[in-house]
Amino acid sequence: MIDFILASQIFNVDLLSASIRLSTPIALAAIGATICEKSGVVNIAMEGIMIVGAFFALWFTYLTGSPWLGLLAGIAFGGAYSLIHAWATVTLHLDHTVSGAVLNILALGITRYMMVLAYGHPGTSDTVMHTLADYRFAVPVLSKIPILGPIMFEQTPIVYFMYIAVIFFTWFMKKTKVGLHIKAAGEHPLALETIGVSVYRIRYLGVVISGLLGGVAGAYLSIENQATFTEGMTNGRGFIAMAAMISGGWTPIGSFVAALFFGFADALQLRLQISGNLAVPSEIFTIIPYVATVAAVAGLVRKSKAPKADGKDFIIEKED
Amino acid sequence: MKKGLKSAIVLMILICLAVTPLFAEGSQEDSDVLTASMATDTGGLGDKSFNDSAYAGLVKANTELGVDINVVESKQMTDYVPNLAGLAEDGSDVVFAVGFLMDEAVKEVAANYPDQWFAGIDIGGYGAAPENFIGIQYNEHEAGYLAGIVAGMMTKEYAGNSDKLNDENVVGVVLGMLIPPVEKFEVGFIQGVHYVNPTCEVLSIVVDSFTDSAKGKEAALSMIEQGADIIFQAAGGSGIGAIQACNEEGIFAIGVDVDQNAVSPDTVLTSATKGVTQSAYLVIKDVFEGNAMGGDVIYGIKEDAVGISSFHTHDSIVPQAVKDEVAMAISDIKAGKRTIETSRAAIGR
Repeated sequence: MIDFILASQIFNVDLLSASIRLSTPIALAAIGATICEKSGVVNIAMEGIMIVGAFFALWFTYLTGSPWLGLLAGIAFGGAYSLIHAWATVTLHLDHTVSGAVLNILALGITRYMMVLAYGHPGTSDTVMHTLADYRFAVPVLSKIPILGPIMFEQTPIVYFMYIAVIFFTWFMKKTKVGLHIKAAGEHPLALETIGVSVYRIRYLGVVISGLLGGVAGAYLSIENQATFTEGMTNGRGFIAMAAMISGGWTPIGSFVAALFFGFADALQLRLQISGNLAVPSEIFTIIPYVATVAAVAGLVRKSKAPKADGKDFIIEKED
Repeated sequence: MKKGLKSAIVLMILICLAVTPLFAEGSQEDSDVLTASMATDTGGLGDKSFNDSAYAGLVKANTELGVDINVVESKQMTDYVPNLAGLAEDGSDVVFAVGFLMDEAVKEVAANYPDQWFAGIDIGGYGAAPENFIGIQYNEHEAGYLAGIVAGMMTKEYAGNSDKLNDENVVGVVLGMLIPPVEKFEVGFIQGVHYVNPTCEVLSIVVDSFTDSAKGKEAALSMIEQGADIIFQAAGGSGIGAIQACNEEGIFAIGVDVDQNAVSPDTVLTSATKGVTQSAYLVIKDVFEGNAMGGDVIYGIKEDAVGISSFHTHDSIVPQAVKDEVAMAISDIKAGKRTIETSRAAIGR
């Protein structure tokens, strides 16, 4: 039965590996946003962080010839960019949604400006010679697992990084002191402050983790999946990541599964368009991922609960 | 109170930072020199295709006629009207709207600035546009048809000429959005393929974006899984991703709008081109010489304005028979002996 389904024209292993490719940036951004919101800071700026990460990853790859240095640059600039969000929301007590929205717009401006500086024109950058896709490798043993092995374990570096991030952050949030502090900062910040841990610091940490992961997600688009940067190449993936975070119930694993589902919906619609059996307009197919997103959020959101103090400002009254 | 004030200041600083770059380019010097300007579509400059070729027309006018040029880019569809109006406000003598999606926007702005010229690339006036509007359209289906002839013959008859080609009789088309110029490319391509190779399967996928290179790549990959060995892309920035997929998987791609060989010389077999550069230049020249007239112009094979580019390094694997078939199609179309349909409905897709 399984063989029959996998052998059919649409439902085959290629569909599943395409799902993984399409879901990787969404999953990374969703895990980042999860950590951030767990600490009590709403982060709708993932889209902007990703586009900044994507640009700097590509540009440093272009300058140095090494995609690994490019990846580091993407991570560093994603993290640095998210610091603005931390500073605005935690230190300056600005509304989280407003700051996030501004950062998304600012990211378009910055990357446009940098494109002109670096390449002399906005739009699409030059192609880089080496990307992380050159470092595709099969994991020994695991890649020998029937069906799933070749799909999941013959991949490119950032895809593996995503698997590790899922496991690591699940452990980090449940088993480490810092992880529990992050949770407390988002559930009951006053209690955390009372035991002598700075809520400000923990929230800064939460936001910066989302920035670092957003930077990786951006780098995936520009220097692993592609070899160029195109303005706006994130195409709303940062927002789909928010949906993945919510329908994944603010957990790293849930975010990953939800992202995988959205990636699957996208991979499926591309294949349905060429299956040729269904005589319906292509628009029907292209909306599938978005319908899936809305359905997932609407269907699961009642069961999934946001951290109690998510988006709630925390001010320590000081006597002057 | 203090908090509100701080927030407001931070917000203002951030907004200033955000919008500054948008105004940084294209400073306008007021002088007697004629100014030509353009607003790109969301694909933007550097798409190595449509927007770039319109811009090349402006640059040509700058070097040959000495006109000032100015360009703004549209980040999203809501930018169209402010961008076009802004260029008109800056005193441009002729403002280009590049791309079918700006259809309504450019006509609206043209009506508000009746003393300046507006030209729409891929936009028709259909007799109902303001008098200062020049509509430039192309017969994309004719260019697509020629590309289709090449693809249809290479994928089957001459599949042995290159190890990039396989025995499956399948080719593909990646489309950005299903708008008339893109649909015409696709429909012409399908007819070209089927003219020389009636049994060939032509797959097509609409990505629904001109900037999503990752999705363009996935679209191409899913066709390659089905055995496609030549993929034609009419998808702007998304198409760059499709070419990337063809490059990684070692099959041929066919470029669009301009000769895209430079994007990936090993991979791009040829490109279905349209003479956007030349036609933009001609409009500016007309305005410069005072000969501009409103109304519609349609450029096709007859005007030598659309076609396919050279095969570059792949020239040796493309047999003379294919080149003859292309030449025959060109002369037939010029003589009006072949009609090529322009919509999916007309060919039953």
